[in-house]
Amino acid sequence: MHRFLRLSFMLMGLLVASGSYAADTQKPTLTTEDDLGPQVTQPIEFPHYRHAGLKNPDDPTNSDPSKGGMEIDCQYCHTYARRSAVAGIPPLQKCIGCHQNIESVRNKPRIVELFKYWDAKKAIPWKKVHDLPDFVRFNHERHIKRFVEQQNRPTQEACGYCHGDVKSMTVARRSKSLAMGWCASCHEKNHPVTAEGGTPIGNQAYWYKFQKPVVASSDGVVKAQGPNDCWHCHK
Amino acid sequence: MSVSNLLENWSQFRHFHPVDDKPHDPYKWAMSIDIDACSGCNACSVACYAENNIPVVGKERFQHGQQMHWMRIERYWPDHDFDFPEQGAEFLPMMCQQCEAAPCETVCPVGATNHTADGLNSQIYNRCIGSRYCSANCPFKVRYFNWYDYPTDETVWPAEMNRQLNPDVSVRGKGVMEKCTFCVQRLRAAEVTAKGEGRIVREGEVQTACQQACPTSAISFGNLVDPESRVHKQWQAQQVEMNVDEQEKDKEPGGSHLRGYRILEELRPYPSVMYLERVRESAI
Repeated sequence: MHRFLRLSFMLMGLLVASGSYAADTQKPTLTTEDDLGPQVTQPIEFPHYRHAGLKNPDDPTNSDPSKGGMEIDCQYCHTYARRSAVAGIPPLQKCIGCHQNIESVRNKPRIVELFKYWDAKKAIPWKKVHDLPDFVRFNHERHIKRFVEQQNRPTQEACGYCHGDVKSMTVARRSKSLAMGWCASCHEKNHPVTAEGGTPIGNQAYWYKFQKPVVASSDGVVKAQGPNDCWHCHK
Repeated sequence: MSVSNLLENWSQFRHFHPVDDKPHDPYKWAMSIDIDACSGCNACSVACYAENNIPVVGKERFQHGQQMHWMRIERYWPDHDFDFPEQGAEFLPMMCQQCEAAPCETVCPVGATNHTADGLNSQIYNRCIGSRYCSANCPFKVRYFNWYDYPTDETVWPAEMNRQLNPDVSVRGKGVMEKCTFCVQRLRAAEVTAKGEGRIVREGEVQTACQQACPTSAISFGNLVDPESRVHKQWQAQQVEMNVDEQEKDKEPGGSHLRGYRILEELRPYPSVMYLERVRESAI
């Protein structure tokens, strides 16, 4: 009898303890495969649609900001993407370099804000939107080299594989999930690798994984998968 | 790599190299260490700590067997009678041997350690669940476990000191296994540069941290497949073959006069590190 009582007391205690523990601890935000991350408030809402958006054919001078863009190449500002693993943030000088010569928008609220940072000699504290976990290392350079430089795809298309249709938005939230399964869904496809400017290395074009490249029987195009070894991104 | 994928494609994750359908091409990273040149100065070990964000655990934890040195200098004293006990010590730099048929890989319950196409034995921290089975099965005992959450430990990287951490290497948290990576962050950076220029990594283009720091150049590192590389030439000159458990030269009666050997190769892990035996006083 005594033993039974003791057990029930212990169970009660355990229940109470675990209940209070659950109430105290903050629940971690659950991430799912299609999670797009939090909505980010930037210090200046940067109008990508205005800079990279398509030109308005009706208005060659692009005088109406709500209608057309300037079709500026992504790599004009994001220069580090093509030459390093990380894309980096364009320096404030880059913005001012153009905007000191554009008198027509000088009094717009965002530009006034921009020049405040410039006069105070402070960098704009941009927030990271495409923030991968610390144990993941995505290499921008490799993807730009392959798609833009070797396969001559448009920059906006290549960047858009991961960043979405940036030319029509301000970036406050990711538009792709950037989960590992999502990355792998591309790397597991057989992509043609003998496109012009390809880089066959050794005797095996693009063999960066254990699977050999396959030659399609129909058109003779060599296809291979992307790298799949864990140590390409996690190290 | 889900568990079902792991089970279905087990042969891809688990096979020893090089085999005919999966040869080492264009890369097989390997090392050779000249023990005769090693002076036991520990510079390689220090360089490794700095490069790979390894926590300094302190004396007490070290004595409990919780050391974290990926690169360690083992000391041996031969049986000669010396006047002083300090005399005649021999040093052996020991790190992960990046085995081609690694005993650690087979036993990992979650596939956190597996083989890469360029002949490395990878350790994926975010996949590791800390069963420590790999360490138990490693014949070289070169795997180290994070017993504590060192990044939050004030004595390991006190305030501001965390700024000396290498951004290209993950800072490991509590409960994961870690080991020498052959400085994979440097290898991958060099491979990416080379691939962008449509060539393979040239000899001397990439160095490991230990090799870079070695004052006597005892460590050479490179691509074993590349006939121009120093490592390839050394392995060839010493007649050390990768995929055998006993070298041809050692089968001769009386043994070989060549100095090259691999540690515990009779266990068939096919290690990627060749050591050059010390020239002993008795042999001269």
